[in-house]
Parts: sequence; C-alpha cells; structure tokens
Amino acid sequence: MLSRTAENLYWISRYMERAETMARLLDVGYRMSLFPNPKGYHNEWDSVLSAAGAAQGYFTKYNEINQENVEDYIFFDEENPSSVYSCISKARNNALLVRTAFTPEAWVAINKSYKEILELKNKKFTRADLPNFTEWTIQQVNMFRGSANSLLRNDGYHFIFLGTFIERADNSARLLDVKYFVLLPTADYIGGNLDNLQWIILLRSLSSFRAFRWAYDGDVTSTKIAHFFILNNDCSRSLSFCINNIVYHLNCLKCSPDKISDIYSGLKSVHNSVKDETVESIIEYGLHEYVTNFVSKISFLDSQIQNHFFR
Amino acid sequence: MFDEMYSDDAQIRKHYLQVNSWLRTMSSTVISQKNFEAESHFKRIGITFSVKDDDMTERIIPFDLIPRILTNYEWVKIEKGVLQRAKALNSFLHDIYNSGEIFKAGIVPKEIVYKKSSYDQSMINFSPPRKIYSPIIGVDLVRTGKDEFYVLEDNCRTPSGVSYMLENREIMMKMFPDLFHTNRVLRVDDYPTRLLQTLMSLAPKKCDSSIPTVVLLTPGHLNSAYYEHTFLSDQMGIEMVESQDLFVENDLLYMKTVDGPKKIDVVYRRIDDEFLDPLCYNPDSVIGVPGITQVYKTGGVNICSAPGAGIADDKAIYIFVPEMIKFYLGETPILDNVETWRCERDDELTYVLENIEKLVVKEVDGSGGYGMLIGPKSTKDQISEFSTKLKSNPRGYIAQPTLDLSSSPTLIDNEVSGRRVDLRPFCLVGEKIQLCPGGLTRVALNKGSYVVNSSQGGGVKDTWVLAD
Repeated sequence: MLSRTAENLYWISRYMERAETMARLLDVGYRMSLFPNPKGYHNEWDSVLSAAGAAQGYFTKYNEINQENVEDYIFFDEENPSSVYSCISKARNNALLVRTAFTPEAWVAINKSYKEILELKNKKFTRADLPNFTEWTIQQVNMFRGSANSLLRNDGYHFIFLGTFIERADNSARLLDVKYFVLLPTADYIGGNLDNLQWIILLRSLSSFRAFRWAYDGDVTSTKIAHFFILNNDCSRSLSFCINNIVYHLNCLKCSPDKISDIYSGLKSVHNSVKDETVESIIEYGLHEYVTNFVSKISFLDSQIQNHFFR
Repeated sequence: MFDEMYSDDAQIRKHYLQVNSWLRTMSSTVISQKNFEAESHFKRIGITFSVKDDDMTERIIPFDLIPRILTNYEWVKIEKGVLQRAKALNSFLHDIYNSGEIFKAGIVPKEIVYKKSSYDQSMINFSPPRKIYSPIIGVDLVRTGKDEFYVLEDNCRTPSGVSYMLENREIMMKMFPDLFHTNRVLRVDDYPTRLLQTLMSLAPKKCDSSIPTVVLLTPGHLNSAYYEHTFLSDQMGIEMVESQDLFVENDLLYMKTVDGPKKIDVVYRRIDDEFLDPLCYNPDSVIGVPGITQVYKTGGVNICSAPGAGIADDKAIYIFVPEMIKFYLGETPILDNVETWRCERDDELTYVLENIEKLVVKEVDGSGGYGMLIGPKSTKDQISEFSTKLKSNPRGYIAQPTLDLSSSPTLIDNEVSGRRVDLRPFCLVGEKIQLCPGGLTRVALNKGSYVVNSSQGGGVKDTWVLAD
C-alpha cells in the first residue's frame, strides 16, 4: 500500500472520529444548559469549548459565550479546523484522494455526509435543532465505520482503525482532563449531587450511561467513573480499550516486522500507562498529571506512526 | 439523415423492436423517476467532470436512458476497421522513430512529422516493448448511412471516457434488468481485466517477475478525468499514484509504500508528455517524475502510452492513415476517413475560404469541441472572424465537410426525439489486439446540434452490441 494512501486513510478516520467527539461535546453542553442551578442555569459552554480545544479560536471571533455562537463555531465554522464541518470536509477530500483504497460504499458514505452537511450549513436553524445535528453526526460516523467493515482486511483497513483509536484515545483523555477536578476526592465530598450530574450527563452524551449501569453496581462514584473511562476494557471509549485496539491493529499490519519494532518504544510507553494501574494509584499520582502525560504519549506514538509508515 | 431506430420507410428497425416496446410501457412519471435515479447514482459515486473556464464546479454528464444499439453485423465491420487502424498507427509510430520507411517511400512528407511539437526527438532510435507505442486507442466514429461509418479522429495518447462506457452499462442493468433478458447484449465489464492484461503484456526487459507491477499515474484530483483514474485503478486492483509517491534510484522506478520502496514495471500514465519528467520535458512540471525517462530508455519501466505517441493522432497526420494501412499492412482500409482539407496548402485554403459556410473548420491542436467553427451553424460575423484567423495561420487549421451525423432516439423532456450521436470504441493493443464490444456513445442533446462534447451540451448513452 502506498504510504500516501495509508496516511490519507489514517486521517480520514481521525477526522470522522473527531467529528463525532465534537458533536457529542455539544450535546453535553446542551443537556447541561437545560438543568437549573442556584444561580439560574448551568453554563457549560466554556468547558465545552476548552474540551474541544476551540476556546482560543472562538474568542478571536466572538466576545461572549452563548449557545448559538458555540454551536455554530463547533458545528459549521470553516475557520475552526476541528468543527464537524471541517472534519467531514477534510475526510471527504482525503477520501477523494484514496478512492481506490475504499469500497464504493465507504466512499458513498463520506460523500453523502459531505453533501448533506453542506445543505445543513446553509439552513437557518434554531436552538432545538442541536440534538438533531448531534444525532445526524453520530449516524454519519457510524455509517462510515460500518461501511469500512466492507473493506478488504489489508493494511488499509488497519490504518483506518488505527486512526480511529489514536484519535479516540486522545479525545477521551482530553475530555477527562476538562472534567478531572470533579473526580477528585475532595470535590466528591464537596460536590455531591451536582458533580455527579455533570458526569452522568457526560455518560449520557457518550451513549454510555446504560453501559456504565451494567458494568458497575450501586452509586455513581468518582472512582467508578474514572475506572470506567480509563481502565475498563469493556468500555469502548476508555483509554485502555483504545490502547488494546491500537496494539491489535498495529500487529495486524502486514508490513515488515522491523517497522513495528521501530515504533515499539512509543507503543510500550502508552501501554504501560494503563497496564498494572489502579484508579487509586492514578488519583494519588494526580489525575490531571496522568491525563496530560497520556496525551503527550499518544502524540509521540502518533508521530512515530507517521514517521515510520507515511514518510 | 440516417436514423438508428427508424428505417427510411418509418419502420422500426428489427434490432430496436424490443427497446421500442419497452419505451412504450414507460409513463413519463416512470421516466422522470428513472432519470432522477440515474442522476443521483452518478452524483453519489462522484462520476463528475469539470469544464474549462469553470474548473471548480463538479458536474455530471447527462445520461440518456435509451441505449444506442449496434447489430453484430455492424459491429464486425467496425471491429475489423478499428483493429486495422490501431495496428497501422503503432507501425507508423515505430517507423517514424526508427528507420522512417514511410518517408523514404514518399508517402508522408517528413517535414510535417518533424515540425510537430508532439514528435518527440528523444524517442528516435528507441523501441518500446513489443514495439507498441499506443496500447489504448479510442477511435471516434460517426455514421451517415446504413453502411457508412467514418473515422473522425484517433486518440492515441490517453483516451478517456471508458469509465462512462462501464458505468452506463452498470446503471442500465441495475435499473432495467428485464431489458437484458430480452436483448442479448455483449458484455463490456471485463474491459478493466483486459486492460490490465494488455499493460502486463508490455512489461519492460528488466522486469523479472511473472506478474509485473502496474500503476496508474494521475496528475491528481483536479484533473477532469480523475474519476476515471480512480475507477480504472480500482477495477484493475492497481495503485493509483501521483508524482510524490514515486522516485528513481539506480535506473529503476519505485513507489513509496508502507512496506518500503516497491519497484514498478509498467506505468499507465494519464498525464501529458510535457509533464512526464521535469528533467527531460517541461522543467516546471510538478506532476511528473524526475528521471523517469532515463529509467524508461534503459528498460527499467514501460510508460504507456509511449512519449511521443501523440504525433499519431495529430489532425495533420490523420489524413495519411488510409495510406499507412496500405503501406504497413498491405490492406485496403475498412473504415474511411472524413475528407479533409489542409489549410496550409494554398489551393486547399482557397477552397476552404470559398466554401466555409458549408464546412467544419478545426484547430489542428484543438480538442473537446473548442476552437472550431461549424459553417452551417455560424453567423456571418463568426465566419468572417474565423476566415481572418485562417488566413493569418493556415497551418493551424484543417477543414472537413459538415457530416450528417446519424440520429438516435433520445428522451427530451420525457418524449422520444432524435438526436445526433457519435461513437468511441476502445481498442487494446498488447500481446493481443482486441476491441471491447461497446464504447462511449455521445449525443448532442440540443436540437439539430452536431456537437456531442460534454462541455458543450452533450450527453451519453449506454452502447449495446448485440450477439448474433
């Protein structure tokens, strides 16, 4: 497989995954905004912006935070490189370049998403449309992943899913980082119900609340939530789950074994960050430090993958 | 005007009977619905092209639901004629780059050939594998009567349109499967396999594998035929590469893969000669591969079509093709050329200027229906403007009579109406020489129009060749 093709496939799935994260983040903000708090309503839009890594860009364009602007910036704004629109359109451009590495279904899925978001972008929308946009985005990404299953199980397939899980590991870690303070023992003590509400909403937005209920008995506690998102191998968004999949897809690559051994150091350091860890040890080490550390390890692994396969 | 469906006494020709009764069963609602279905299919798969002056818009070529049908009898003649032509054109190319017998025999003046920019001097005394320069030849045919087919031009470089031939058939079989039960239509879907076999049979001498590595070289996604490049690579299961994927080392050509460098044996290039190699041709080319010609000349890779093959489809060379057939093959041409006046000759220029309102005048180096004048369809101003151009640069033009192109039933606003058509079948020349039974039928959708080019209001049809 051409290096350029592999690189494009890797990025297509990263962009699609990112589009989903962005849409889900908006959903978090939207649900929070519907719950009253003592001062009026929750304003979660600033944490949505920072979790999306979009705060800086947003404030160069707008002075104040409100739902409409945040929604527009994160969904449709071309100037925001991570907006759902930017992600889908970049994924489509990349797909155009590697059509031969795709099945027609996979191309049609992406091309159709692109054509539809172009239409959505030009329509006037109301506040109530936000959940629909989120739902639409998730559907598109699912369609893409589903169609990717029709691919030949060659390196291309594994590069697609490598991209998916690298991106998801990064996104999940960033999400945790924005909300980490709610999980601290002291905050648990102080926060009580309010802080649990934030996590429950997050779980719902990630379509994981029921899964969480199935996985753990009893109360929703910060330890359980941290375990769920970091170490639980059954949770499809946990750091640990992502790493297992990264290892799996790297091992499936039919390229020469020396290439895999080249990136072994990066892989090992990422793998070690979940192996033999417990929630207690992570919290003791510092959740924020842990997550920051994890993000930089993922980014190192990403650069190793890029250097060894795509250059 | 010859009508493909109706005979002179207004009877439906036998081979159109089934299609005609099928047409009668379709209400205009069904037609609209099927048209919509076809259009959305083409949009979805992204079979688009871009138009000059407007190269950012993606458009689809209008697709007409009524197939253009050729009987086996008609096809046999076309097939023999095209194969004959393809052989002669390849012989001609080998000859003019080597011993030049046709010059010595006084059949083609060598000045005409040598002066052309498409004549590649660096190819002199070089012989590509199997002496084949042009492995894929698209021959544009028009019909004016029952047995009268004329060759309008040959395309020896990288003829496009074959993806339409295949996709048009695909959508017809999907939408109207019954039609293919009642009509025995020869298959075209094995074209990509045959193309790959052809390219593999043209591996260079340094190729040591029994399965040569073939790639398609595209200029990139902004090219108007990009869809076709992806389609063909996909159907052949070969890599579609861009210049940045390739590099030259020790007189061999490699592509960069996730496994490391992989040697390439045959390049099916869809970029023009000029851009092929910045070290040998246009130094500003960013879509070419530095050093590829050196690899080619030393037998490390084959480039299909060969650099310099374009001279064979030059409009100034076209007029000599019937002579070539006699000279190289010792045969009588089966398909006729259209009578052509070369404006560079004084007497012929005079004739052209006197009769311009009856003629079609074309730029020698033009294509795509641009830069031409159709006398009977032009205003006085356009004619006088063109006459001035002719006088100032007679060498740049040829003229032909306005042919009465045959007309084929076509759906216009859901009604059947005759529109003029041409035909481009695709000939493959490798170890075997073969013609795919079908081709691209282009139709001039504007009433009375002669111009079938997609950039100028042309559409396409599925083209059927019936089994015996």
